[in-house]
Amino acid sequence: MSFNLMIVDDSNAMRAVIRKIVSISGFKVDRCFEANNGREALDMLAKDWVDVIISDINMPDVNGLELLNALKHDDLYKDIPVIMITTEGSSERMQEALAHGAKGFIKKPFLPEDLKRVLHEVIGVGEDGEYAEDKRDVDGVDF
Amino acid sequence: MENMQKIKEMLMESIFEVFEKMYYIFLEPLDTDSGTYDMGASIGFHGPANGEIRILISKKMAGKMVQNMLNIREEDVTAKLLEDCLKESANMICGNFLRKLDSNQVFNLTLPTFDGNPVVADYTASLRIAFESEGDGMGVSMSMTDQT
Repeated sequence: MSFNLMIVDDSNAMRAVIRKIVSISGFKVDRCFEANNGREALDMLAKDWVDVIISDINMPDVNGLELLNALKHDDLYKDIPVIMITTEGSSERMQEALAHGAKGFIKKPFLPEDLKRVLHEVIGVGEDGEYAEDKRDVDGVDF
Repeated sequence: MENMQKIKEMLMESIFEVFEKMYYIFLEPLDTDSGTYDMGASIGFHGPANGEIRILISKKMAGKMVQNMLNIREEDVTAKLLEDCLKESANMICGNFLRKLDSNQVFNLTLPTFDGNPVVADYTASLRIAFESEGDGMGVSMSMTDQT
């Protein structure tokens, strides 16, 4: 089974790069939503479900940490895994993001392998792009 | 002076890292810069130190950045993509540099701004570095002051 992905970044170019890396890394994405900032992301979430969010921090209007905070305080969204992709890599800032519920952290600039590795870690997708839980569903065997 | 040399080295490392990893562009430092470039992007930072980093670049090199980053053809490079790409490069260079400067401190970055008109190098900046790659030029300047 595939999953729905949301990319939140105010840079069109960066969103395109992330989309391309996810695509060539073998992940089976059903729908890919793109938002310019946290406010747009929250508006989109009200209409469509997503399984994982990849978000920048430094954005206009509602930034990545504010988005994380809003998700954390919403029972419907609090369990959606969020991966932060950001230039801001101070250890304190990373702790802040993790405290706000981020499941992974990627520092820019990054290599395609970095994003692929964190996606594998965070959403539990195998090398073949399938969810581990989907494989268990097939015949009850945990691969 | 010695401190400024270390800061310059850190900034250069950040520039190389961003350009090699994200744009597959290998830069060569130059002794002097051309002074005028086709476009530029700036970003400010605040925290234990305050300052601004400016990226000045030829349109041709900015176009190569977009092409390499997105794996697209020259004719598909738009003005919006050039702006986006340049602002993002300023953002990445600034964040990467500040991590090298002190990863235990929190700095706040401003949103990057873009100037699509010909821009002149800031000769009053604390640091100015010029680069070239395959005949195309780029300059980076930084102004920085301690908060104290």
